[in-house]
Amino acid sequence: MFDKIVEESKIKSPWLFHLNMGSCNGCDIEFVALLTPRYDVERFGIKLTGSPRHADIVVVSGPLTSQVKDRVLKVISQVPEPKVIVSLGSCPMSGNVFKGSYSVEAPVDRFFHVDVSVAGCPPKPEAMIDGILKAVEILKEKRGIK
Amino acid sequence: MISILKGLFYALVFPGFLFCTTIGLLLLGIDRKLVARMQNRIGPPVIQPFYDFFKLAAKERIIPSTASRKIFIVAPIIGLLSIITISLFIPINQIKTIFNNYADLVVIIYLLSIPALSIVIGGASSGSPFAGVGISREVVLMLAYELPLIIIVLAVGWKIGVKAGTGVTFSLANIVNYQVKNGPSISILSLVPAAIAFLMIIPCEVGTTPFDIAEAETEICEGPFVEYGGLNLGLYKLMQGIKIFVMISLFIALFASGIIPASITGVPFINSLIAIAWHLIFVVILLFLVISLVRTITARIKIEQAFKFFWTYPTIFSLISLILVWAGL
Amino acid sequence: MGFPFIKYAIKNLFSKPSTERYPYIKKETPKEYRGKIKYYPDRCIACGLCIRVCSPAAITMIKGEKGEEGQKITMQFNLNSCTFCKMCADFCPRKSIELTNEYSMVATDKNELIVSGSFIKKNPPKKNINKTGGVQAV
Repeated sequence: MFDKIVEESKIKSPWLFHLNMGSCNGCDIEFVALLTPRYDVERFGIKLTGSPRHADIVVVSGPLTSQVKDRVLKVISQVPEPKVIVSLGSCPMSGNVFKGSYSVEAPVDRFFHVDVSVAGCPPKPEAMIDGILKAVEILKEKRGIK
Repeated sequence: MISILKGLFYALVFPGFLFCTTIGLLLLGIDRKLVARMQNRIGPPVIQPFYDFFKLAAKERIIPSTASRKIFIVAPIIGLLSIITISLFIPINQIKTIFNNYADLVVIIYLLSIPALSIVIGGASSGSPFAGVGISREVVLMLAYELPLIIIVLAVGWKIGVKAGTGVTFSLANIVNYQVKNGPSISILSLVPAAIAFLMIIPCEVGTTPFDIAEAETEICEGPFVEYGGLNLGLYKLMQGIKIFVMISLFIALFASGIIPASITGVPFINSLIAIAWHLIFVVILLFLVISLVRTITARIKIEQAFKFFWTYPTIFSLISLILVWAGL
Repeated sequence: MGFPFIKYAIKNLFSKPSTERYPYIKKETPKEYRGKIKYYPDRCIACGLCIRVCSPAAITMIKGEKGEEGQKITMQFNLNSCTFCKMCADFCPRKSIELTNEYSMVATDKNELIVSGSFIKKNPPKKNINKTGGVQAV
């Protein structure tokens, strides 16, 4: 009984941290809608924390602007292992309509490893729930092999 | 030898380490589920804090380079040990515990300030400016609620000591014994304002809305807990859960014991189990009324408003009680 | 100082929660929802209007070798970069691009989100040029 609780606690309590890397806020508004009574991700044990040192899953949105690049890399290195990075929307993977600008550094793959990407502009909240559940499975693999 | 074993049993199993941690985490889970139901949604399962604690124990422990190492690690342990020591003093529905001496209440008030101080010291040792803002707010809150607490304890001890005929008493055992014979203290009319003031202090001690100014907020990135992660953070969350249980048990011991008769059946062991079950049901009802309902319908207030609130309303209520007791009513 | 929400809090304790149980119960999308792109290569004529109109430049045309029958042309729609504005489907003269109502596009690898299709564009018919001038059909 005690063993079962310890086993299940690896997948039943992922804590989230949201990081905006210069986005237009469309994906952020749809993400915050996940915590309202209609979609309610808290039934999976997910909680939004205020500090990156408490988090398991880091959710990023927006194309990386040059002004914020150093700070984002510092904050992502402050998240303790094991961690999973989820990117929302099509901006982090390719820059969408901002491609080729002088201050946008997408695709973000060159700086840190993105595990799950959810496509859409903005993605529907149900698609974000699918993305987060897939990230929880990847977290379970990282813990099991570790 | 037997007394040493008995002392170890009380300290480690009941009502010491195992019982307090289990009930504390369960109360945190029940509180989250009730708040979710009142907000018209499904909440997490009731055993969610157990999953949180074991997950936090399996994360990497990072200590920042601007922090002082030994204090950073020792601060949550001191807070947890002191709150478990307090739980050894409080009688659970007339089951006697190991420390029943002359001046229980004075020791309890001294020990009750240590968990809040451990948050302050832990935050100060992490070396982050967010933590500095959080700990200054926590110190102001401690100043705010200590004043009415002392006046309430004085009023209750005086009244019940005078009525029992021994002068002012600060022993919880005497207070509980008096209530078993003559009915709960809340039925004495001059102690009703003190009970209302104590109910106002409980959310501030525990650290929930509308008074969670210092601890958990996204305005200053979680205040004193900003650099904590892993098992150190898990010990702080455990301390918060046990504090809820201790504060509500203290209210019941001071004001409302003696409602349920202790000896229903003849066997003493089954009597103890029934007594513990009644006590827990009472604790859950008070948790709903004082912590969950207040948390759902209010928002967080500023630190100046909280300080002004605590030095006017609960202080005035407890002073009314003290004056009525002094006048002999 | 009154507490205005007590009635609703107590009433919600005893009624059913209003949460939608995704992912156990799937949800219907509205009628003209703009989801994942579906491409019909046999209707395409490789005119390039969709490439001209696409604002994030997410469509590429890859031309192969000119063979006996014709030229092999591959169209690639990169959904990592698409805004789902439906301009390509509106401008296509042969209606070979369609936006379905599939909304759940989650991938662990970048290449899973590229929709591509290829077809063979037939060579134009040969015309006989007379040395004396003028054009005659064969």
